[in-house]
Amino acid sequence: MKPRRILVIDDERVICDACRLVLSEKGHTVALKTTGREGLRAIQQGDFDIVLLDMKLPDIDGMEILKAVREEKPGLCVLVMTGYSIMSNAVQAMKLGAADYLSKPFTDDELITAVEKACISL
Amino acid sequence: MSSTKFESYFQVFRDILRAMHFSTSVKEVLDVVVTKSSEVLNAKGALLRILNRETNQFEVGAGFGMGKRYLHKGPVTTEKLLPDPRELHKVIIITDIWNAPRVEYPQQAWDEGIRMMLDVPMAIEDKLIGLIRIYLEKHREFTDDELEFILTVAEQCTCIIERVQLIENQQTHFDHLATQMDKMSSLGRMAAGIAHEINNPLTGILLFSSNMSKKVEAGGPLEEGLQIIIKETQRCKTIIQGLLDFARDREPQKKPTDINTIIESAQGVVVNEFRLRRVTIENQLAADMVDTLLDNNQIQQVLINLLLNALQAVEENGRVTVRSAVDSEQNSISVEIADNGCGIVTDDFKTIFEPFFSTKAKGTGLGLAISYGIVKNHQGNIQVFSEPGQGTHFTIHLPILVEKSNGRETT
Repeated sequence: MKPRRILVIDDERVICDACRLVLSEKGHTVALKTTGREGLRAIQQGDFDIVLLDMKLPDIDGMEILKAVREEKPGLCVLVMTGYSIMSNAVQAMKLGAADYLSKPFTDDELITAVEKACISL
Repeated sequence: MSSTKFESYFQVFRDILRAMHFSTSVKEVLDVVVTKSSEVLNAKGALLRILNRETNQFEVGAGFGMGKRYLHKGPVTTEKLLPDPRELHKVIIITDIWNAPRVEYPQQAWDEGIRMMLDVPMAIEDKLIGLIRIYLEKHREFTDDELEFILTVAEQCTCIIERVQLIENQQTHFDHLATQMDKMSSLGRMAAGIAHEINNPLTGILLFSSNMSKKVEAGGPLEEGLQIIIKETQRCKTIIQGLLDFARDREPQKKPTDINTIIESAQGVVVNEFRLRRVTIENQLAADMVDTLLDNNQIQQVLINLLLNALQAVEENGRVTVRSAVDSEQNSISVEIADNGCGIVTDDFKTIFEPFFSTKAKGTGLGLAISYGIVKNHQGNIQVFSEPGQGTHFTIHLPILVEKSNGRETT
């Protein structure tokens, strides 16, 4: 599979590191951001194929970031991660343009499958 | 009986009835009974003993006009209070207090100026539930009419007390349920917070452990350990998911539905588990079942929970019976799920609807709590009868609701 540039935005450092480990082993380049603000700036300035976005961030809400992506980088593929496991939350994210969602906690295989699925549509 | 006497009796009768209408406290009613009966008979005072159903003894429930020591008299048994059941519907007149076996402390009574006593049994059918003792300072005659009237008043009081006791019991039961609901909703609010806080660390654990399990020797002890970590982490996820389902407290999406079809679809979900355990389900569904407003998914969840609990309770080759019925008088429908299993231990009875209460090794303890919430959201109630070793019956009562044209519900 073609290596992709992936940005992970989650305020939990451990989750960021784990995602990087799993995805980099598959050959992807992974950047990490632990706040919404930094994440948004990275999206605006960087050149990513896929963003893994946590829905609950301390500064900017995940939904706000999704809206910003839709306006500024409509082609960017966003996978959301939600800790509430509430479907309506995921459905709302999909309506705002998210490609897929992962409900926390998830395994490495679930993460890889979601990213691979997203890659097909790229 | 002279007309003035009759009038005062009638007045007492009315006062007691009135007190009952405005009171839902047994104590208040008893106070009125002793005060009024002393007044109308021009007595020094009266003492009322009432049956405590838990101890099966008669305790002093109210007193009027007598010294404090009368109020502190200990409980007595039926045999002591009324040894002869033939006296159940008679006023017992004690004129010779020195020699009457019914009078325990004649000296004390005499010193207080008491010369005569009336014992008025309070009975319902053939069951004694109390006794009013009236203390008089002077001997006097009582006509049959008068005694008859005293008994009638006592009988009415008995009925009133029974009813007020029932109200009081129901109030206690209701209060218990209300606190339970309170507990659950605050727990619900907490649940969402906990879920988020715990799912995050679990994500780290699951990602690292599942990644690592592929890097260790297949079939080796490390892989085995990592697989356990993965499985247990996923188990935590399931528990949290259950907690969230419970916490969400969704408003039911109600549509007119025949509950029999939900019963059948719920059984479809669990039929394999029943077959595996060789437990039979017997249906006795009402042929005249009517549609009512129900959230199909939620009610199905309740029925599945109850069916699985029943399955859990019975041994192999057990039997679970599902009955549905229409009660047109109460304008409600009911579903009963009965098993012939192990029953519920009395100690567990109070807690079975509480979240996290479980007797199953792998239970989350949320099934009945969620079911309870759902039924309450349907304005229904859920009752349980159980006897250890005999089995358990869960009965759900739901009101028959139809949708009005304005989208509101009505019975």
